[in-house]
Amino acid sequence: MKKTSRHWISVVAFCIIVINHLWAQQPVTLSLFNESTTIPYTTFLNDPMHPGVQIGTEFDWKENRFFRLYPSVSFGYMYHKKLFQGLYSNLELGCDYKTFFGLNFKIKIGLGYLHTFSTQQEFQFDEGSYKSKRDLGNSRLMPSITTGLGFRLYPKKISSPEIYVLYQSWVEFPYSPGFIPLMSHTNLHIGIKFFPFNKKKKP
Amino acid sequence: MKKVLIILAVFHFACTEQDEVFQEDFFQCENTLSPNNIEHEKVEPVSEIMKDMVSKGVPGIMMSVHTEGDGYYSTSYGKSDLANQIDMQACNLTRVGSTVKTFTAVTILKLQEEGKLRLDDLLTQYLPDYLLDNIENAEETSLRQLLNHSSGIYNYIQDLKFQTASLNDLIKVWRPEELLDYARNRGAYFKPGTDSRYSNTNYILLGMVIESLEGKPFYEVFKDKIFIPLQLEMTQFAASDPVPDDIIRGYIDLYSKLELTNATYYSGWDYFSADGGLISNAHDLNIFLTNLFQGNLLSDASLKEMMDWQSPNEQDSEEFVTHYGLGIFLIETDSGPAYLHSGDAIGYFASMVYFPNQKTTITWAVNANYGKIDDITQKKGAMEKIFKSVLGN
Repeated sequence: MKKTSRHWISVVAFCIIVINHLWAQQPVTLSLFNESTTIPYTTFLNDPMHPGVQIGTEFDWKENRFFRLYPSVSFGYMYHKKLFQGLYSNLELGCDYKTFFGLNFKIKIGLGYLHTFSTQQEFQFDEGSYKSKRDLGNSRLMPSITTGLGFRLYPKKISSPEIYVLYQSWVEFPYSPGFIPLMSHTNLHIGIKFFPFNKKKKP
Repeated sequence: MKKVLIILAVFHFACTEQDEVFQEDFFQCENTLSPNNIEHEKVEPVSEIMKDMVSKGVPGIMMSVHTEGDGYYSTSYGKSDLANQIDMQACNLTRVGSTVKTFTAVTILKLQEEGKLRLDDLLTQYLPDYLLDNIENAEETSLRQLLNHSSGIYNYIQDLKFQTASLNDLIKVWRPEELLDYARNRGAYFKPGTDSRYSNTNYILLGMVIESLEGKPFYEVFKDKIFIPLQLEMTQFAASDPVPDDIIRGYIDLYSKLELTNATYYSGWDYFSADGGLISNAHDLNIFLTNLFQGNLLSDASLKEMMDWQSPNEQDSEEFVTHYGLGIFLIETDSGPAYLHSGDAIGYFASMVYFPNQKTTITWAVNANYGKIDDITQKKGAMEKIFKSVLGN
């Protein structure tokens, strides 16, 4: 084997070890949620259910006995019957206020990208008439503010699983230029944070 | 990666509802459209303006004109159903939304003629306290002030909580009492009788007044007093059959891109209230408005009261100069004064206009609204274009 090849194999192996080590400490957040078009904090659980699922992770930044500041990233899908379905990615900065018995008060601000598709057949005006065409979707920004509660099952363990409920208020922008500039939504999440990659790691 | 994309595409397609498939005869209407003069002097201008609107993005339109000399002419152009590419017919059924307010006003005036109410009576004489609880101004307002929108009562449709709730459940059927809840604990716009501002809440309350007096649904009273006497064969109220099988498909341009989706089943908020919910067509609306202003529906005294115009303290610079009558508006157009009422339902729009100087009635109905569609069908510029084209001045 040539010397340069061995060099690159060493570099790649080193990177894999570092990434694996870092990833081993990463939590996974997984939640199911109900999306609604509503004004924030005027409603809680709305009918009918518009289901969604979100998966993400959190990164450590600053932490002391009572507070934890952390960036997070998530990806999700939601289905609003008769209106839209959307795929999104979201970056958030979260802050947890920790209590000694495992209850966390949570607040997050975020900014995401959402791509929506109509859930109805779409007819596009083209050369003087309407034709049924493939929906390429619409690009949206989704700034958000989230509040919630979490409960760590093993408060003294760093890698304790946490069950949480989040009330995420977010805005879909732009919505309908010249008609409805933006649309207000809420997502009510119930989820779990867990550490699937560091089972061998001691607390 | 390719497999993932295929799975996502299949999932996306599976979550997209396709429109129902119909044969052309599904929308076939046997209505006689009598009377309909197909040699009317307005055949050409009506055809031209309809073609122009469809070429700009309206899926389908029905239009009707009445002149003293040539009588009625009703026709249509474009599509009633985009998925199945079915042509619109002048006798088809469509939603005509708030044009029902003129029917509500005529019914109230007829009840006054029968001695069952007086327009200056307070609303509280007819409705129980619990219905009016926390609706500011409701206790001081008269029936006349409800009719000409000078009550100052908050318009429930303006409430953001209502707007988002209706979008959250697009097929919810709302009861009038639920709609009134969105007007409770909201400040009135002004003291009754000091200004004019359009409010759908006024007409929900008027529908309840009709029901309290007649002891039956207000739309049954419409039927007895207006639909049957005028032989409006294609006019009915949504409560009795919210989405008739053969109603034309309605579409919305929700994202202002001339990309339409089917909204035929979305109009549930006005199925049971007297501020919307009428199902009719341009031909029947024309018969109604023409008869109204020919004096065949109301006494001269009632018609005079109906046209006692009140002006709002401020006009909207982007709209016609508008004055408020009882269930009808006076607008100042380039073609002269006109008496008008228009109406939106989700996916549909209709308008009816009478020009007293020309003694001409123009009505039209389209099966799409919102976004860019409104610029072609109902904004001031669009209406002026229709008036100039049809009236020829």
